[in-house]
Amino acid sequence: MTGSPLLEVTDLLIRYRAGLFAPRPKPAVNGASFRLERGTTLGIVGESGSGKTSLLRAILRLLPVESGAIRLEGRDWLALHGRALRRARQGIGVVSQNPFLSLSPRLTVAEILAEPMLAAGHRPGPQIRDRIAALLSDCGLPAAFLDRRARELSGGQAQRVAIARALALEPRLLVLDEPTSALDVSVQAQILNLLSDLRERHELSMLFVTHNLKVVAHVADSLLVMRRGDVVEFGPTEQVVHAPAQPYTRELLSFGVHSRTARKEPS
Amino acid sequence: MPLSDTTPLLEIRGLSVTIPTPEGDVHAVRAVDLEIGRGDIHGLIGESGSGKTMTGMAMLGLVPKGSRIGAGRFHFDGQDLRQQAGRLRGRRIGMISQDPAAALNPVLSIRRQIDDVLRTHRDLPRAARRAEALALLAATGLPDPEKVLRSYPHQLSGGMQQRVVIAQALATGADFLIADEPTTALDVSVAMQVLALLRRLVAERNLTVLMITHDMDVIAEACDRVTVLYAGRSVETGPVEEVLNRPAHRYTRALLGALPDAVPRGARLAVVEGSFDDPDPEGAA
Repeated sequence: MTGSPLLEVTDLLIRYRAGLFAPRPKPAVNGASFRLERGTTLGIVGESGSGKTSLLRAILRLLPVESGAIRLEGRDWLALHGRALRRARQGIGVVSQNPFLSLSPRLTVAEILAEPMLAAGHRPGPQIRDRIAALLSDCGLPAAFLDRRARELSGGQAQRVAIARALALEPRLLVLDEPTSALDVSVQAQILNLLSDLRERHELSMLFVTHNLKVVAHVADSLLVMRRGDVVEFGPTEQVVHAPAQPYTRELLSFGVHSRTARKEPS
Repeated sequence: MPLSDTTPLLEIRGLSVTIPTPEGDVHAVRAVDLEIGRGDIHGLIGESGSGKTMTGMAMLGLVPKGSRIGAGRFHFDGQDLRQQAGRLRGRRIGMISQDPAAALNPVLSIRRQIDDVLRTHRDLPRAARRAEALALLAATGLPDPEKVLRSYPHQLSGGMQQRVVIAQALATGADFLIADEPTTALDVSVAMQVLALLRRLVAERNLTVLMITHDMDVIAEACDRVTVLYAGRSVETGPVEEVLNRPAHRYTRALLGALPDAVPRGARLAVVEGSFDDPDPEGAA
């Protein structure tokens, strides 16, 4: 079924239970629907409380959903359980915001990169060593880094290791949760360049979650903007950036250098 | 003799901060010139390791123990910061830090935390302190200051916490604020509100602000003038419009080129050459 999108979410509703007798709270995600086509990147944008992280966690099956459907590669993703779910979930790689929290301080980079493969049942041996070195160089780090530990890495280097680890099991889908928010702007630029390269090389589909619309507009083919649980904007990046439906989206785009230089550029 | 209003409030020439470590001296700041006029919001931009935070710490007299501060001139309102930084801190010079959740004490109410500052710095009776705390919270645009006063930090959002930290900085009576990445921990939409708030407070209360950040978007959004730091040196300074539209130093151009909206979508972003421990930034330029 090559015609189906990689990921299709329909009317997804997520609600946190406050307590047995408490009144039902407003849903954290209120009927989200969108598609992620194969080999493309979808940016999910929203501020704290917008529901973007709940949406992500539901897609990773870390959170139960109240109603709605998620189809991954044409399959009913919410119907999988237990062993089958764990096996299928290996097709999703995850990169989180802070690499120093997501990388074990006790392990070397080589051990960190070997872990997903060992967990998936690969036997230790020269094949794994070759694969680890290839992953690392794919992410722009020389083999000399294999023996280092997280504390010996800069923020950008650590995030490269986290990305390499996410790619270890050759996922079809890469989920990135604020992958550059903890980084300097120039390091962020390097990571965004790396993600573009990896996408081409591995034909990856990506979900890129962030509060910074301008960052994700640079890499995403389509954008989804969330606010207070609602999807307020979903469409091709060009359309959302040039003709945003919401004043909120326009405001997010107006932040910073670009609007000030455009506004004040002397003619 | 009172200094005229044309004298800069802050005047720094050739500042260096050297920190001794068991592995040898670390030159955190090598040669920083900085001049800030009254009423300005002056941006200090640089990346991790550029020395921007240590420059701010030197003004507060909070450099690590044993550090050596060198400077041709290191003056705040005519007083030498080498001797007076400790005395000016909290009286004239206030601080707003990056992570409001870390700046606030999690087990004390907001009321207690603002009152502590007022008790230390202002000679006011109890009732007047309470009124002042409410007025300060209201000035930072917090809705329902009464309720905020009764709250604990975890009951407030990040944006609200940062407003409380700003109210605390104002409570000291300081007229010069060092804001170190005040919006880095916040969402873009909240960051915009906090920066707008700072601009309004500066205008209303005759404040002067040093805004330390790694983000050119923050500089563009909030500052009047900017100084660019690279590897412990100030490499460029000027009005924000001028620096953004006609960056003179190659490093400034690289920082602007690294912004995701600097180039068409999908195009490669500029990568800043050289690293912060490059001993000779001019060599990289």
